[in-house]
Amino acid sequence: MPELQKLYDAVLNGDQKTAVAITQEALAAGVDPMELITNYMVPAMDKVGSLFECEEYFVPELLLSARAMKGSLELLRPLLAAAGAQPAGRVVIGTVKGDLHDIGKNLVASMLEGGGFEVMDLGADVPPEKFIEAVRARNANIVCLSALLTVTMPAMRTTIDALKTAGVREQVKVMVGGAPVTPQFADEIGADGYSDNASAAVGLARKLVKQG
Amino acid sequence: MERSFYLGLAATGLRMPIGADLVLHEQGGAESILYDAERLGKVVADAAVRYKTPLAFPLMDLRLEKADLLSLLGVPETEVDLYHFHTAPESGQVEAVLRGGGRPFSARIQANQGAVRYIAEQTGLLPVGMLIGPFSLMTKLVADPIAPVAMAGAGVTAEEDDGVRMVTRCLDMALATVLRSARAQIAAGAKAIIVCEPAANTVYISPRQLKGGSDIFERFVLAPNRQLCALLAAHGVDLIFHDCGELLTGMVRQFAEELRPAVISLGASRRLWEDAAVVPKDIVLFGNLPTKTFYSDSAMPVEEVRRLTRETVANMRACGHPHICGSECDVLHVPDAAATIRHKVEVMLEA
Repeated sequence: MPELQKLYDAVLNGDQKTAVAITQEALAAGVDPMELITNYMVPAMDKVGSLFECEEYFVPELLLSARAMKGSLELLRPLLAAAGAQPAGRVVIGTVKGDLHDIGKNLVASMLEGGGFEVMDLGADVPPEKFIEAVRARNANIVCLSALLTVTMPAMRTTIDALKTAGVREQVKVMVGGAPVTPQFADEIGADGYSDNASAAVGLARKLVKQG
Repeated sequence: MERSFYLGLAATGLRMPIGADLVLHEQGGAESILYDAERLGKVVADAAVRYKTPLAFPLMDLRLEKADLLSLLGVPETEVDLYHFHTAPESGQVEAVLRGGGRPFSARIQANQGAVRYIAEQTGLLPVGMLIGPFSLMTKLVADPIAPVAMAGAGVTAEEDDGVRMVTRCLDMALATVLRSARAQIAAGAKAIIVCEPAANTVYISPRQLKGGSDIFERFVLAPNRQLCALLAAHGVDLIFHDCGELLTGMVRQFAEELRPAVISLGASRRLWEDAAVVPKDIVLFGNLPTKTFYSDSAMPVEEVRRLTRETVANMRACGHPHICGSECDVLHVPDAAATIRHKVEVMLEA
């Protein structure tokens, strides 16, 4: 039996190789995948989030921890699916049409995956119809829109309007973010939530899913 | 130019945005102007005249060097923005870029260089070039640069990890491309060059690692920029260093002390009057009004622009550091907000 605390430490320290190795050993020893997630990986990511909030950790540490978590989750996901376990939520994420920046979006996607969400990443420069198509195909309950440029922010409103027109707006909560985006702008365009960093985005997504 | 030229401009109380994009979009057929050296040069000159500055700041298009680099690797211009390396470039590709200095530039890049030449030959303005810094260009080449840079910062070597190999090789290619761009702009007549390194910030470079003694900032940011600075210095061309990213005070100090720019331009998150303490007095501080939010009247009302401008100017006067009050970055045209942006720029110039 591997020392499972090392899984917590590996995620906390962003050590993907060790996280994957411990996960493999644990599975081989018959440990319940949910135990690994609930007792070690999620608490580690929660700790990462709190270290980020108090500026002990920064974006690179956040991303390395999310990658470590993702590496382990890739091993666990087939087993969880076979056991009928449900994700924390189903997310469709992308950078809006006309905007090619994807660093912030990638970070949010990684953190959401690390937070137990099923994430479909549509990439950058995503037209509204692709968001609609993905929401329907994945039965998503959260849509995350990212924009880095002031000139592409209006595409967030266009996308939300398109979700309404397509009749899927009521089934999803829409979160927006990106350097020029403000809480006021999020309100103005009818988004359900705004986050200014990837760590807080996970908390926001959990809160929105609870609201239903 | 002598440093005294920029110090003199600061002493006169010069205020200016990086505003060529605003002027460009007032013209019909803005897109076609980007391919016409003379018309583009006139736009840059018109912006300088409008904002009453001798500094002919060009458009800040940070995609050009990426397009130039990838053209050598056979990536079509239409695919450049979405093209990223997901694994390390092959050594043959790196070699091709390092040795590919003699190839012709694209029509778009030639127009940019032609605009510099127009300013140098047809106006009395100071011809200023513009290019992306090597580190920032590297981040544009790689699909997910943050993690491999952090691994490099933690001491993982290119031999040990493909991600680290990828960012290391891409940085080598980026530096070669940036040097080629600088040489061409100098040949076109640039007397100063704005080097834009917005990605050299705390998102990509971990403050935690730096505190722990990592040399990642030195290896990935300062060292390649030093090579670029040496080229500029060898041709008597001034460095205007721009970084609107989130920075540590130590980063600002190192940019100033290690690269010795004539002007350093920082983003709105910095308090310039505090940065003045770590920037030598022969380096002009430029900025740093939050022009990225000028599009929004709720996020940035006119009165707040006025207040921030007065606060910045007053604090900079009080600390006695040479300062040109300006935008935190290039002021982009936003179709639905063009009038309010122009108005707020005017307020910034007059408050």
